[in-house]
Amino acid sequence: MSKSAAQAVKQKRKRSGTTWKHDIRLNWSIYLIYLPIFVYVIIFNYLPMFGIVMAFQEFKPTRGFLGSKWVGFENFIKFFSASEFPLIMRNTLVISILGLSVGMIAAILFTLLLNEIKFSWFKKPVQTITYMPNFISAVVIAGMVIDFTSSNGIVTNFLVKVFGIPRENLLMNASYFWAINLLSGLWQGLGASSIVYVSALGNISQELVEAAALDGANRLQRAWHITLTAIRPTIATMLIMNIGSLLYVGSEKILLLYNPTIYSTADVISTHVVRMGLEKMQYGYSAAVGLFNSVVGTILLVGSNYLSRKLTETSIF
Amino acid sequence: MIEKLTPSRVIFNIINYGILTLLSLVCIAPVWHVLMASFSDPRTMMATPGLFKWIVGKPTLEGYRIVLNNPSILTGYRNTLFYVVAATLFSVVMNIIGGFALSRKTKLKKPLTIMLIFSMMFSGGLIPSYMVNMKLGFVGNPLALIIPGAINGFHIILMMNAFNQVSSSYEESAKLDGAGPLTILVSILLPLVKATVAVIVMFMVVQQWNSWFTASIYLSSRRDLWPLQLFMREILVQNDTKMISAAEAASAASLVNNLVKHCVTVVGTLPILLLYPFAQKYFVKGITLGGVKG
Repeated sequence: MSKSAAQAVKQKRKRSGTTWKHDIRLNWSIYLIYLPIFVYVIIFNYLPMFGIVMAFQEFKPTRGFLGSKWVGFENFIKFFSASEFPLIMRNTLVISILGLSVGMIAAILFTLLLNEIKFSWFKKPVQTITYMPNFISAVVIAGMVIDFTSSNGIVTNFLVKVFGIPRENLLMNASYFWAINLLSGLWQGLGASSIVYVSALGNISQELVEAAALDGANRLQRAWHITLTAIRPTIATMLIMNIGSLLYVGSEKILLLYNPTIYSTADVISTHVVRMGLEKMQYGYSAAVGLFNSVVGTILLVGSNYLSRKLTETSIF
Repeated sequence: MIEKLTPSRVIFNIINYGILTLLSLVCIAPVWHVLMASFSDPRTMMATPGLFKWIVGKPTLEGYRIVLNNPSILTGYRNTLFYVVAATLFSVVMNIIGGFALSRKTKLKKPLTIMLIFSMMFSGGLIPSYMVNMKLGFVGNPLALIIPGAINGFHIILMMNAFNQVSSSYEESAKLDGAGPLTILVSILLPLVKATVAVIVMFMVVQQWNSWFTASIYLSSRRDLWPLQLFMREILVQNDTKMISAAEAASAASLVNNLVKHCVTVVGTLPILLLYPFAQKYFVKGITLGGVKG
C-alpha cells in the first residue's frame, strides 16, 4: 500500500517535472500525428465559431467577415420583432417538448415491459424489429409519411373510417402536423432510444430482485423500487442531453415534410435558418438566429446539468 | 429465479406479450407494405385500400425494370457507394489517429482533449460553417460530403477510451525494439481495439448512406454528383417523377409512378437493411459505450 503510494507520488513528480523540452523530444512524433486533427478542428470547428461575427453584420460573402458592414444587434431585433417569431418559438418548443417527453416515457415503459419477458427467443426478435426503423433514411421515412397521409393513403383511410374525419391530404392541414411528426418520430426512434435503458438494466443484481420478491414485494413494487432506481442515472443523463438539444429540433424530417400551407405549426428555428440563410441568402440574419439557438441551447444544457447534479447527483460534466 | 404462475401473473404475461407483439407488427407493417406494393399490379393497387399483407393483383417486376434502367438512379447508386467508402475510410483513419494521439501520455493531452470537447458542445452553426466551406471551395465539390463531417469528437473519444484500456505492457517491448508510434498503432494496438473500430465504421456507413441534407446544400446544382438519397427525395418527397416516367404514355404515367415510388424505396433501403442484422451488435455497443450517440 505504502509502496504503491510512494510509486504514485514518484510517477506524479516525474510527469509534472517533465520539462517542455523533454516532452517535445519524447513525444514529437505523437504531436506530428495529431497535427492534421488539430488543423482540421481549427478549420471546421473553431473558424465557424469566429464566423459568428457575421450575426452582427450585414454579411456579404464577397466582402468576407472583415469587410462586411457592422449593424450591431439589428439582425437579432429583426428576428425578435418578426411577425412569425412567436409562432416559430411556440412550434420549436411544442415539437421538441412533445418529442422529448413522449419519446422518453415510451422508451422507459417499453424497456420495463421488455424486462418482464424471460424468453430470449421472444425478446431478441422484438428488440431487433423495433430497432430496425432507426436505420431507415429520413428521406424514405418522409416518403412513407407523405404516401400514407395523402388523401387516399392508408392512415387517412383509417382515420376517415374510424373517426370520420373529412378526407384530405393530412400534411396540408396545419392541425395534424404535430401529431404526424410525433408519431413518425416515435415509430422510428422507440426501439433505438430504449437501448441505453436496456443496457443499464443489465447491471441490476439478480439477488436484489430475488430478495425483494422474498420480502413480498409485488411486481409493480419491484419495477418501481429496483428497476426504475437502477436506470435513474441513465434517465437523468438522457434528460440533460435532450434538454440541451431542445431547440435543435430534428429539422431534417421537418424540411422534408412541411410546405408553406402548414408553416403555422411546422416552421421551427432550424428550418427558419435553412430557409432564410440558404434559400433567401440572408446570411447575417440567419447566423444571428442560429447563434440565438446555440446560446439558448448551451444555457439549457448547463442549467439542466446543474439541476440534475443537485437533485439526483448525476451529471454529464 | 423460478416464479409461481399466479392467475394475475398469467394475465399480465398475456397482455405483455400481446403489447410487444403488436409493437413489433407496427414497426414492420409499413416496411412490409411497401415491399409488397413494389411487386403489385398498379391498377389493382389503386383499388385496394389498407395495408397490404401480400402482393395484390398479378405480381410484376415492371417497377424494378423501370427503376433499375433509370440512369439517375444508377448515378445515385454509384455516387452513394463512392461517398460511403471514401467518407468512411477517411473519417475512420482520422478518428483512429486522433484517439490514439490523445490516449498517449503527453503534456498537451489535456488541453487538446478539452479543445475537442468544447468543439462538440458549442458550434458556430449552419451558416458560418457554410461560409467557411464555401471559401474552401466545397460548394459543388464532392469533397463536401467527405471532408467537413469526417472528424467526430464522439468517435475520437470512443477510440481514445479503447486505446486507454489496452495494457501498456503490449507496447513496452515493441518500444524497446525501437518501433515508432505508428508501427505500434498499426501492428500492436489496432488489432486489440478492432471492436471499437467496427462500431465507428458502422455508424459512418449508415450515416453516409442515409444522408441527404449536406448534399442538398453543397451539391444542389450538380445532379451528376447527387447521392441516391437526393434522387429519392425528388421522387418520393417532391413528387417529381418526370425523370423516371418520361418515356411512359401519359395516361399510364400516374399508375406507374405509384409503383415506381415503392420500388425506389425498396432499392434505396434494402442494402442498409441487409447490413442491419450484422451491424446491430455494433450499433448497440456504440450506443452503450458512449452513453448516447449525440
